[in-house]
Amino acid sequence: MLSLALKNLIRRPLRNTLTAVGLAVAVAVLACLSAFDHGYRVALGSEVNRMGLQLMLVPLGCPYDAAARVLKGKELEHSLPESAVELARRDPAVAVAAPLLMVAQARPSEGRADMWVGLDESALKLKPWWQAQTGQKWFTVSNSVILGCDAAEVELRSPGDSFYSPETGERFRVEGTLVRSGTSDDSLFFVPLATAQRMFNQPERLTAVAIRLHDPALLREASQRLQNIPGAQVVTLTEMMGTFLNLVGAVRTLLLSIACVALTASVLGVFNTLLAAVVERTNELCIMRAVGASRQQIVRLITTEALLLTMAGSVAGVALALVAGQSVEHLVKQFVPFAPHQRLFSLTTVILLQSVILGMVVGVLAGAYPAWRASRLHPAEALKGE
Amino acid sequence: MFKLRPLAFNIEMSRSLALWGGLAALILGIAVWRISDSSQPTEVPFETENRPPTAAPMCPWREPERDLKLFFPEATHHKIETRILSGKRLELAERLGRPPSGDENALYVYPVYREQTQLGVVLAHRVKGEFGAIELVLAVATNQQVSGLRLQRLREPENVTAALQNPQWLGSFVGKRAESSWQPEHDISDLPPEARVSGAAVTEGVRSLLILLAMADQKEPHH
Repeated sequence: MLSLALKNLIRRPLRNTLTAVGLAVAVAVLACLSAFDHGYRVALGSEVNRMGLQLMLVPLGCPYDAAARVLKGKELEHSLPESAVELARRDPAVAVAAPLLMVAQARPSEGRADMWVGLDESALKLKPWWQAQTGQKWFTVSNSVILGCDAAEVELRSPGDSFYSPETGERFRVEGTLVRSGTSDDSLFFVPLATAQRMFNQPERLTAVAIRLHDPALLREASQRLQNIPGAQVVTLTEMMGTFLNLVGAVRTLLLSIACVALTASVLGVFNTLLAAVVERTNELCIMRAVGASRQQIVRLITTEALLLTMAGSVAGVALALVAGQSVEHLVKQFVPFAPHQRLFSLTTVILLQSVILGMVVGVLAGAYPAWRASRLHPAEALKGE
Repeated sequence: MFKLRPLAFNIEMSRSLALWGGLAALILGIAVWRISDSSQPTEVPFETENRPPTAAPMCPWREPERDLKLFFPEATHHKIETRILSGKRLELAERLGRPPSGDENALYVYPVYREQTQLGVVLAHRVKGEFGAIELVLAVATNQQVSGLRLQRLREPENVTAALQNPQWLGSFVGKRAESSWQPEHDISDLPPEARVSGAAVTEGVRSLLILLAMADQKEPHH
């Protein structure tokens, strides 16, 4: 049965190949979507966990925009009074409250910005991965700078080197470079908080306060209390993660619709191919019936052809997703809100199998009518044709 | 029951099965390989914990149109090529007077053309200035002489930047070759004391690039 089905498929190589390619593209799009969705969730969760904080105090305004800007290492339009740190530290649920001042200095000709971050020693408690790759892990003097590992590589700096901010005229001594964290911190320039405030003329102002609680279960009550700090609003990381996923979800729904249209078109392609094959082979099928083939055997034959065709298309689609997916990843990262630094394309075995099975199932469904029609042919039809 | 199995049909079926089986095995093989490949850690395998940032990431050529107008006004297009130099490290070390750094195992070259005629090449390179990285763009004519130099990015103090961007100083590199003399004051214009460290880095960068280019263009001897 398998051999006969294969033989029938090979008889029309171009038509069947084109049908399989159509299905392969649809399966590849679906597999890529699933892989990116899975990878994004995992990477976002992992990155948020590595931040070691549960909520942030940000200036009044759109809280998600503010928090996203802080996490992405972008400058905020508004700032917080430094007194917000002390008020936050007084809350009984707060274990660590770390002040941050972030300033972006655009470098348009390079298509990027220098990101300066002022912080105090409390930030170390929130960043367990903060380890010196070379030199010291903390500032010894006010004009010290510690560089993220990517920043150090691009600027060719090592401990003891000088470093300069052309926009502010400040000179620094590189105290150390950090080990790779896999977060946006890798490309930042860290300086003492007071230095950053002086350097950017922001005395006693902050961009955000990162907060870790003694017990994450206290999040709701702590948020309500911290919300009362003047000029500040609270954003929890859980809310932010949900917002990011919702933003991505909207895009994903749109892409999923396109993938569904592609899948429907490919199913119609399979349907058309098999129906055409049945019509072309009416005589042959009738003779098979005449020499003793049962209706079930005819149905099995056409279904086997549909299965082989869709299996080839699905497997090719998965292979296409594997080859193209990672190439597309860096392109996608530019458009995804808060794209984590980790790999976003995560084509797991489960996604792989789901895609292949989905492709085969829809293929078999598309082959159902042609198979039924073939099984209804009467042996006498062959004689009519003659 | 229908069982039509003549010999010729069986042979053809065996071939078809082998063809389809082979194709399926190939696709599955690619899939398994990509999955196992993607499960590998993304870190560079030979990266050590205390790796000093001596080897810079590839330096981009940021403003090709501007530089082409400046150095090769009649250019119509350019390409990018990678020249592998890892097999010439001993000779490189001898000519450079120091061991080649990791990023000197390969040279990214931008050949510049007017229609089909090559006018020269452009090289972009990052050197360690006193206060940060300095990115230089070097134009080299087909006779391997420098035809122009521009610093596309630097983060030096204003007075140092002004000295390094001085057309007279940049112009003193024009006509230099890999084997030229590079003595400051004599062969290259002098700089104010505060700019000498970064100036020396740029000079050494240009010299190294010319040597790397000469080595890359050098024909392999026939044995």
